[in-house]
Amino acid sequence: MLVDFIQNTLDGLSAGAAYALLALGFTLIFGVLRRANLSFGPAIMFGCYAATWTHVNFGAGLLLLALITVGGAVLAGAYVERLCFAPHRGGSAIAAMVASFALWMQFEELATLVMPRHLYAFPLLVEGDPLALGPFTLRVDALVTLAVALIACMLLAWTLYRTRFGLAVRALIEQPSAAALAGINVPWVFVRVFALASAIGGVAGYLVVATHGQITPMLGMWATLKGLLAMMLGGLGSLPGAVIGGLALGLLEAHSQWYLGPQMRDLIAYLLLFVLLAARVPWMTTRSAS
Amino acid sequence: MDKAALLLSLVLAQTPQADLRCVATGEDFVYDCSIMLMRGGRPLEGADVTVGADMPSMPMAHSVRPAKAIPGTKPGEYRARLDLEMLGEWAIKLRLDGPVRDLLVLHYEFDSKGAKPSMGGQKMEHKKH
Amino acid sequence: MDDYALGVLTNIGLFSFIALSAYLLLIAGEMSFGQQAFFGVGAYAGGILTALYGWPLPLAALAAMALGALAQFLVALPTLRLRGLYFAMATLAAAEMARILFELLHWRRSIDGELAGPDGTQGFRGIRWIFEHGIEPLHYLGIVGVLLALVLGLFVFVERSKLGATLRGIGQDPELAASVGIDVQRVKLGLAAAAGALAALGGVLYAHHNTYIEPRNFDIMLGVHSLAYALIGGLGTAFGPLLGVLLDIGVLESTRVFHGYRMIVFGGLVAVLLVFRPRGLLDERMVLWIRQRFS
Repeated sequence: MLVDFIQNTLDGLSAGAAYALLALGFTLIFGVLRRANLSFGPAIMFGCYAATWTHVNFGAGLLLLALITVGGAVLAGAYVERLCFAPHRGGSAIAAMVASFALWMQFEELATLVMPRHLYAFPLLVEGDPLALGPFTLRVDALVTLAVALIACMLLAWTLYRTRFGLAVRALIEQPSAAALAGINVPWVFVRVFALASAIGGVAGYLVVATHGQITPMLGMWATLKGLLAMMLGGLGSLPGAVIGGLALGLLEAHSQWYLGPQMRDLIAYLLLFVLLAARVPWMTTRSAS
Repeated sequence: MDKAALLLSLVLAQTPQADLRCVATGEDFVYDCSIMLMRGGRPLEGADVTVGADMPSMPMAHSVRPAKAIPGTKPGEYRARLDLEMLGEWAIKLRLDGPVRDLLVLHYEFDSKGAKPSMGGQKMEHKKH
Repeated sequence: MDDYALGVLTNIGLFSFIALSAYLLLIAGEMSFGQQAFFGVGAYAGGILTALYGWPLPLAALAAMALGALAQFLVALPTLRLRGLYFAMATLAAAEMARILFELLHWRRSIDGELAGPDGTQGFRGIRWIFEHGIEPLHYLGIVGVLLALVLGLFVFVERSKLGATLRGIGQDPELAASVGIDVQRVKLGLAAAAGALAALGGVLYAHHNTYIEPRNFDIMLGVHSLAYALIGGLGTAFGPLLGVLLDIGVLESTRVFHGYRMIVFGGLVAVLLVFRPRGLLDERMVLWIRQRFS
C-alpha cells in the first residue's frame, strides 16, 4: 500500500513537472498580458510536429529534435502573438481569446494535413528499462523530465531576477500602469515574454512526447487544458503558484487514477478546480482577469 | 405495455443493421466501400442509400460529401466511394430512403489500407503509466 | 433540394441554438466555455425520454429544456461572483465534468428484447423518433426553422425592451448597473436558466436529427465554437450568432476548393476579422447604422 503510494507520488511528480512548465508558460503570458492564450498548447504541438516531421523524413538526434520543437513552438507563438494579442492590447480580451482559438484550429488542421496519420512514433527520451530502487520503479525519462524542469525553472528565475528584461516582466505583472509610465517598451516586452513562454512550453512538449514515444493531434488541446488547469489551481498569475499547481495536479492525477481510474482522475481535477473557484479561495483570485 | 411502447418495440424490431467493408484505393483518403444491409435477419434490398461521414468530436467540422451508393452484386449489398479528409475514427452515416427510411451511424477506424470497426468512444489519452 | 442540403440547413439551425445561448451570456458580460454541457443535457434527456420511455418529442423537448435550465442554473449559482477568465474556467470545468459524467452514464432499458439507451463511451444509438413518426427531413427542417424563428423573435423583443438594456448594461458595467438598483445576481441567474434551456433545445433537436449521440460530441470544441460563432457574427443582435454559424458551415459547404484547408482559411479569416471588428460583424455600431439607414 505504502509502496504504491510512494510510487504514484514519484510518477505524479514527474508528470507534474511537465504540467508545471506548461503552467509557467501560461502564467507568463497571463501575468503580463492579462489574457489567456488558447493557442498555447497548439503552438507547442506545432513545434512537436515539426520535430516529428524532421524525424520521419530525415531522422534526427534527440538534441536536434528538442531544438526544433522549441524553435517551432517559439515561431508558432510569435505568429499567435502578432495576430491575436498585439492587435487587441488594451482592447477586448474576449476577441483576443477567440482569435487564439481560431489559430488553434489552424494549427490542428495544419498538423493533420502534413502528418495525416492519427499517431506517430516519436523517439524515446531514454531507451531501456527503468531503474529499480528497492521496491520502486524509477523511469529514467521521468527523472530527466524532473531535472530538465528544475533547470528550466532556475533559468527562468535567473532571467526574472537578474536581467533587465526580467525586471520589466515583473514590473508588468505587479504594477502594469506604473511600468508603462516608467518608460518600459511594453510591446517589445510582450513579444519577448511570448517567446520565453513558448520556449518553456516547447521544452514541456518535447519532454512529454519523448516520454510517451508518440504524438497525436490531441496534444494541442491536452497541453492547453493541463496548463490552464495547473495555472488556475496554483493561483492565477503567480509564477511559484504555477509550479505548485503543476506538481499538485500531477500528484492529484497520479493518485486519483491509481485508486479510481482514468475517468475519475479527470473528474476530480475539474471538480477541485470548480470548487476552488466557487469558494473564491483568496490565493486563486489574486489577479484581475479582465 | 402502453401503446407507445408497443409501437416503439414493433418498429425497433425492424431496425436495419449494416456492416461496412472498405478498401483504400491508393488515392489519398479515398475508399471503396461495400455495405451489407439486413433487416429482420434478411438482406434489405431496393433501399436508397447515401453514405456520409463525420468525426465524433465537433460534429460539423469536416466536410465529406455524401456518396450515393449503387446496388452491388449480392442481395443487400451497396457500393460507394468515400472521400475522407484524413485517417482516423469516423462516424459513418448511412441514410436510407425508399421502402425503409432510417439513419444508421457506425464507427470505423480508417487507416492506409481500409477500415476496421472501432469500439467507438475512444479518447486519445495521454496517460502517464 | 436533396437530403444532404436539408441536413446542412438543419445543422445550421441546430448550432444556432447553442451559439445563441453563448451570445445571451456574452452580452451580459459572461464568457462561457461550457454551453456544450447543456446542449448535451438536452440531447441525452430528450433522447432517453423518446427512445426509452416513448414520450412524444414535443414533450421530451420541453422536459429537456427544463433540465438544461436547471443544470445551468445550478452551475451559475456558485459562480455568480466570478468574472472574466475565472468564470470561463469554472464553466469549462463544469462542462468537462458533465462530459465525463456522460461517459459514465449507462441507462439501458430492454425495448422488445433489445437493449437500448446510453451506454457510456459507446454512445446512445437508436434515437429514431422522427423516423418512427414519418417525419421527412424537410418537415424537420421546418420544425427547427419555426422554433429558431420563435427564439429570434423573442430575442428581438427582449433587445428592444428594458430587459435588453439591463442585460447590456450589466455587460458594460456591472457596478454601475448595481448602483442604479438592478439586482445583478437575480438577472444573471435568470439568464443562466434561459441560456441553459436554449442550449438544451438545440441538443434535443440535434439528438433526434442525428439518431446517435456520444459524449465526444459535447466536448470543448463545440463550446468554443459556439462562443466563436456568437463573437464573429456580432454581439449587436441575435442575428449575429446566426451569421457566425452560417459563415462557418456555409463556407464549409460551398467551397469544395478549400477541401482540407477549410479551418486554416476560416481560422485565419476569423483572427483577421477580429482585429478590425472585435465585437463581430454585426456589432452594436453596425446594428445602429443599419437601424438608422432603414428607419
